[in-house]
Amino acid sequence: MTGFSVILRKDLRLELRSGESTIALVALSLLILVVLVFALDPVGGVRDAATAAGALWVAMIFAGMIGSTRALLAERDNGCLRALIASPLDRGALYLAKLAAAFIFMAIAEAAAIVLMVLFFNLDFDSRLLRLLPIIGLGALGFSALSTLLAAISGRLRAGDLLLPLLAVPMFVPALIAGVKASGAALTGASFGASAQWLKILIAFDVIFLTSGYLLFEHVIGED
Amino acid sequence: MNQRLNLALGALTALLMLGAIYMVFMFVPTEADQGIVQRIFYFHVPCAWVAFAAFGLVAICGIFYLWLGQDIWDDLGYAAAEIGMVFCTLVLVTGSIWAKPIWGTWWTWDSRLTTTLILWLLYGGYLMLRAMADDTPQVARFAAVVGIVAAVDVPVVVVSVRLWRTIHPAVLVTRQGGHGLEDPRMVATLLVALAAFTALFVWLLILRFATLRMRTRIMTLARDLNLAHAAAGDLCCTISTTSSPLTLSSLR
Repeated sequence: MTGFSVILRKDLRLELRSGESTIALVALSLLILVVLVFALDPVGGVRDAATAAGALWVAMIFAGMIGSTRALLAERDNGCLRALIASPLDRGALYLAKLAAAFIFMAIAEAAAIVLMVLFFNLDFDSRLLRLLPIIGLGALGFSALSTLLAAISGRLRAGDLLLPLLAVPMFVPALIAGVKASGAALTGASFGASAQWLKILIAFDVIFLTSGYLLFEHVIGED
Repeated sequence: MNQRLNLALGALTALLMLGAIYMVFMFVPTEADQGIVQRIFYFHVPCAWVAFAAFGLVAICGIFYLWLGQDIWDDLGYAAAEIGMVFCTLVLVTGSIWAKPIWGTWWTWDSRLTTTLILWLLYGGYLMLRAMADDTPQVARFAAVVGIVAAVDVPVVVVSVRLWRTIHPAVLVTRQGGHGLEDPRMVATLLVALAAFTALFVWLLILRFATLRMRTRIMTLARDLNLAHAAAGDLCCTISTTSSPLTLSSLR
């Protein structure tokens, strides 16, 4: 078993037993969507596909930030992080494991958010949602890559939870723009060809941040 | 920073800036479409180029710091980020001043302004990290990583924002005449203004860098002094090594 799978399985098992992160993330996504419905007062239906897509991505960002912080927070108790660093585990593998855990938590929250979005914005449960899934998946992957790296920094600072949004949100803007546009197009029934350019941007974003995170993680991980 | 260098850079900057001001207000002809407001362009564009160059420098210093581990790269990167932020703010402000008479609005989400705003936010985050983390010993590494990731993000931001605004063009006409300067006098003025702002940036950068170097040296000395005291068993007298002014605590 590689280091990556060991860490990932541990995190998933922990989460499976307590379930607190996932439930909180789903609840948070629900609340954010409710707030956005009040804030934007959409008419609903396909006419508001763009608004619905936007609301979904907002929920993703804020749930994702909390998810990433939690994925690393668990290690700080009981000196687990010191043990991880002292072990021969490759830092890059640790990054990928944490990123995968964050991604899975985000994906679960997103699945719930998509269901809620369909309900709140009067959309339909049809094949258009299937086209939405890869777009959301790419966005969640990119965000997990970004925020796992940044949460490693912010987790070690006094006011770190203030800093994480300040750093993560501007960096996520390109994926946000591309993701919202592509999601909106998918919800109105457009094919992938129409959103090809947006998808290319999302993929490029994911590749860039996965690579950067993998290479730079060793410089930011540590204990206090 | 030695006095002669300081004076020389200051004098050079003053000279170039005076030259640029003269050219902008006296020499260059008024642009046909936009009128006198267009003259802001000669300050706005050099500020933008300098800001982008500064942020590139932050990333390069970050890479060198992570690679070589020398404090000098950290100090240079921090100085470049601070000065770059000043120029980036100037870009946004001069851009808004230009936009109001031309487009009738202070702000618009055209691709260049949006990209500059995102850049401003990215480096604002960098500076907030510096401010919040200044007393942790690893701040230099964190800042280096953030600086690198921010710079890596910039091309994606540019591409995505440009696409965003091409597919859904802004209601207002995109800014024309960006660099399509017909009159050679306009080109000359722009080049002089660019030289002036570059000189200003270099001068400010070196000033700020010198201050940060001094601060790093003082903190290293304070740390060494603490270690010496501790080694001598003299634990009653310690010097604080946080970024707050040096304090001598509890002398017994």
